[in-house]
Amino acid sequence: MTDDTALILQTHGTDQPNRTYAPLFYAMTAEAMELDTTMWFTMDGTSQMAKGAAEEVQIDTSTDVTLRTMIDRALDAGVKLTVCHQSMELFDLGEDDIIEDAEIVGAASIIDLALDADMVMYF
Amino acid sequence: MSQRVHNCVIPTDRHLDVEEHVWAKVDDDGVVTIGMTDIAQSLAKKFLHAHLKGPGTEVEKGKSVATVESSKYVGPVKTPVGGEIVESNEGVGDDASLINRSPYEDGWIAKIEADNLDDDLEGTLMGDEAVEAYREVIEGHDQLEECEHIEGSDLE
Repeated sequence: MTDDTALILQTHGTDQPNRTYAPLFYAMTAEAMELDTTMWFTMDGTSQMAKGAAEEVQIDTSTDVTLRTMIDRALDAGVKLTVCHQSMELFDLGEDDIIEDAEIVGAASIIDLALDADMVMYF
Repeated sequence: MSQRVHNCVIPTDRHLDVEEHVWAKVDDDGVVTIGMTDIAQSLAKKFLHAHLKGPGTEVEKGKSVATVESSKYVGPVKTPVGGEIVESNEGVGDDASLINRSPYEDGWIAKIEADNLDDDLEGTLMGDEAVEAYREVIEGHDQLEECEHIEGSDLE
């Protein structure tokens, strides 16, 4: 692992399946390149972290690959998932509604992560 | 020298890290050539890009010497031995599908001058032991029934 860190923000949700694949893929790529990588799901992106939601999003209609498949691959690769607490409340999601693999954090934490990251990508 | 299991070519003349799907061959001059196995290229499908660490880079055992990407997969190529990269395969950098077509010959990834060769190679497998270990991996894998080789593969 290098000392470099990457932060990837995802603001698109499960209602836009075509916008869910690439940020996860970039996160896995960053990890493969030995960047300590965190994804931050906020705004509509919060919906991707709701329990049971990602399983319903078909990424590749020719296979059984879902958004959940991609999330699991990202986790296996070492990507850390975080979700915006404030966005959760806007979407009426409680802590029990979020997948256990994601850490719930507030806005100040993400500002800290952004300040410290060597690379930040926004989607 | 190799054996074929479910159409997967498994070399018996080099060290295999079955978990990471990489091979290491100690050349006559003591330099270790690293590459990916037939199983790796079958699982990943056609590689689109390879981002190789350059000569002079120090790498630890188990760390990445390259990042490889297909449309379905991205991940590190983890070296079984630590040391200094003395050469990286520019051919693979130009055309990553070389790994698919020739994983054990032209599609090598990196050559490493190892710091601690004997210790680092512990845990890798050779010969029949490697073949049987890989047989178990292949037969237990839910995404691999048999290896597939793209057009131009030197494994067919």
